[in-house]
Amino acid sequence: MNSEVCQLKELEVEHFEIREVLRCILHTILFHRALGLVRPKDVDLELFEITYVQCGDVELDRKIDDKIDQFIDRVEKHPNKKNQICLSFYEVKNKQATWFTNKVERLYWEQWYINLNVAQHPKGHFGKSHHSKVVVDRGDTAADERSARRAALEASLRDVLFQIIRFVNEKKDHVPPIPNLEGVSFPYEITISRFRIWDGHVQEDAPNRASNDAQLTSKALKLPRSFSSSFVMRSIICVNC
Amino acid sequence: MATYKGNTHSEPAKMEQIITEFFAKSLHIILESRCAYASSRNYSGEQFLSSPSPSSSSSSSSSFRPRDKWFNLALRDCPAALENIDFWRQSNLEPMIVDVVLNQRPSNWDPLNNRGLVRNLSGKERYYYGSDSDEFGCETKSEKIVERWFLQYESKKSCGGNGGKRSNCTSSHSLYKKSILLLRSLYVTVRLLPAYKLFRDLISSAQICSYNLGHRVSSFVEPFTRREEADMQRFVFTPVETSCGRLCLSVLYRSSVSDVSSEPSTPISPQFIQEYVGSPMAEPLKRFSSGPVSQSSPSSSPFGRRHSWSYDLYRASPPSANPSPSPTYSDSHAAISKQLSNRLPPAGLPRHLHDETHDVHMKNPSYDEYWPSPAFSPSPSPSPPTYVPGSQLSKVLLRSESAPLNIPTSRLSSIPSLPNNQMMPPSPPLKATRLIVSKRDAHMGLYNTSSTVDKLFSFSRDEPGKMSNVKPSSNSSSKSYSRNSSRLSFQDDYDDGPFVVDDDDMIDPGSRPSSFDQTRHPSGPFDPDGVFPVKKSQDAAVGALVRMLKKAPPLRQDISVTSHLLNQFSEEPVKELSVASSELISSKTTADALEELRGYKVMKDELLKQGDKRCRGWTMGIGRCVLRLASAWVDVPGELVVDGAGLLTSVVGYITLRFDQWELRDVRVLYLLEREKT
Repeated sequence: MNSEVCQLKELEVEHFEIREVLRCILHTILFHRALGLVRPKDVDLELFEITYVQCGDVELDRKIDDKIDQFIDRVEKHPNKKNQICLSFYEVKNKQATWFTNKVERLYWEQWYINLNVAQHPKGHFGKSHHSKVVVDRGDTAADERSARRAALEASLRDVLFQIIRFVNEKKDHVPPIPNLEGVSFPYEITISRFRIWDGHVQEDAPNRASNDAQLTSKALKLPRSFSSSFVMRSIICVNC
Repeated sequence: MATYKGNTHSEPAKMEQIITEFFAKSLHIILESRCAYASSRNYSGEQFLSSPSPSSSSSSSSSFRPRDKWFNLALRDCPAALENIDFWRQSNLEPMIVDVVLNQRPSNWDPLNNRGLVRNLSGKERYYYGSDSDEFGCETKSEKIVERWFLQYESKKSCGGNGGKRSNCTSSHSLYKKSILLLRSLYVTVRLLPAYKLFRDLISSAQICSYNLGHRVSSFVEPFTRREEADMQRFVFTPVETSCGRLCLSVLYRSSVSDVSSEPSTPISPQFIQEYVGSPMAEPLKRFSSGPVSQSSPSSSPFGRRHSWSYDLYRASPPSANPSPSPTYSDSHAAISKQLSNRLPPAGLPRHLHDETHDVHMKNPSYDEYWPSPAFSPSPSPSPPTYVPGSQLSKVLLRSESAPLNIPTSRLSSIPSLPNNQMMPPSPPLKATRLIVSKRDAHMGLYNTSSTVDKLFSFSRDEPGKMSNVKPSSNSSSKSYSRNSSRLSFQDDYDDGPFVVDDDDMIDPGSRPSSFDQTRHPSGPFDPDGVFPVKKSQDAAVGALVRMLKKAPPLRQDISVTSHLLNQFSEEPVKELSVASSELISSKTTADALEELRGYKVMKDELLKQGDKRCRGWTMGIGRCVLRLASAWVDVPGELVVDGAGLLTSVVGYITLRFDQWELRDVRVLYLLEREKT
């Protein structure tokens, strides 16, 4: 089964906007992937004039809110970094009892990367002292900037939602058969990346996210965290010499 | 597919049923969020009250009829959809076209007569137009199709050529699955299109809307004219292919419906600037000498306003002397004058302005931050909501007043007077627009630090969306006005900017000379206390700034900078720079700051590039190394610290080691190189 990846357009958000924006995007994606019976629920965003749709699954709402809390914590701990949330859908394959792991294998058939750039810059730095730009949305008062930025973010958020819609429409073949479940029909996982390569490129083949699997695996193998590092470094040295 | 009703029909029959139900479902989804009365939804999510728990089994969903669960999307009943679908139940090969029609009331619609509106909302939508014309017999309404949905099942000539499908079952299953996906995205899209906002405003707004939404469901329509279609955008859902054909869904929608909503965005700027231009500019000095809280305006103001309003109302808009009035400008003028002509008589205006500003504010609490425009006080929706409580009115006015202080003599002295009617003949909205625009230009061109325009804009904080609409309009007109404003601002003789010409007809001729004289005084502008005693803090700041600017030496070489920057906005060559030196001073200051900023940016980019290159190299290196040794590969997310010589000394980051069947992620890599070396 082929795996599809969708990198959503990056959004520049303020701290207080994270929750709404993430809720909107995550719920929209999940609404498209909760192919069991749903009773859709319209939710209006407070900060923007956008209405998105939730599946109406309380459990799902809770999980999403938890993840968003985690994300916000992460953002606070690592400011000035581009942040990424990955929503992946997987199929559970039959267990393979190897000596490596006693975990079931997950076959990811779709991954969505939500890219957020949380703004940390101080406002109005040069704002009051120049008016060189004719650009309409850059006034010289903080409120002006804010509302312009807000409008831009709303437009970008709409673009992201349409990006999701287009992706869902264009790529349907990779979706596995729908199990007989209500609501969210496919198992999913939301992970938050810790870092990205600081030139901003995300490596798609090696998703940049913590994985429960990995953590469990390393615990199972009782690998101290430094183990791999020294291994890696040694090897690097060898080659370089 | 359990929700498939478990029928045992043959495959083609199953597929046909899916397609028929698809038509029904999509019509349901579309009409549910476009047809006001047809939807029984309460947008507070009340639908969940009827079913205890969404995640419970299907037995609890007894509130939904079984047929509603088609495509795993449980929706409430939509009578409009039910009424309209019968045709397609019989023949699903016919296309289905749903037109969402916006019916706008004419501008002279009486808001107090809502009899017709109520009936409209409850009338049958099929006969929508008939009932409408009965209600509003004599008045013509404007009808616009804001959305047109096309749904069709195109059958292929050669059916059954499955091309290697394993069994017939999969095709109907696959079709069902894909239809589910398509309907999900339809559901979301319907809420993202512009018409949804109209719908929401219609059903949720407490105020009477000046429009109504109707729909038409048919299988044949006249195609749009090219001009109509030019205004519309198309969104095509990817067709769902089946063995016998394909299911196509698309929509043509009008991307800008904001002009029809109850709160038009365009005329905002002229609206509140009317007020601005009217009272303070009429008697700027008198006004401010009366004290800080000048809600009680001097008596001359009403006269000034009266003149302006009556001028506006009873005079046809003359061809503009202004070379290029912007379309927004004339549109807003038209809109305003139209509304004006239908509102209060001119005599009533001044009274409203001055005595009832507070009342106006209270009448329209939702328009908190806007200017009270007397003409619009009684009418709730059709007029643009540009109201501001009286105190804010004076505040903003005063602040706008302070703006000229930043601008050297020529601009300030522009306040009261004069003649040179190069600019447009005045009507408040026109002036207003130009006023904002020119001020903006002035600021842009002269790089003053406090922008009146933005302060004015800041009062519309409540409606950021609108402001962003406004600004483009004002900015687009800026080019046309900048020519005039820059020309005017650089000419000592005129003492004017747009203020002047605006005020030309608004001010009492008697008052003009006096104010003119006063402001002509060179030290006048720079003495905030003398001229505008009111906003001391603001003006003091402005005065301090101006003094600072004065101190900086005038630089001839900055003329090029100034002209370059000004020329962004005007085609007029900057001549007559014999203007007050403070203009150049101000431009120097800010231009310098700009240059610095640019420099920093360039530096920052350079640094990033350099670091980028180095680290990228190392990243690649590390990846390759590990690959060789461990049959695994590594990506290094994290920060690589590289010393001056370019040797990798330490790495702080998290890497992923991926092996055949498992991977270690977030393995922390730290500082081990040096140890190994020794």
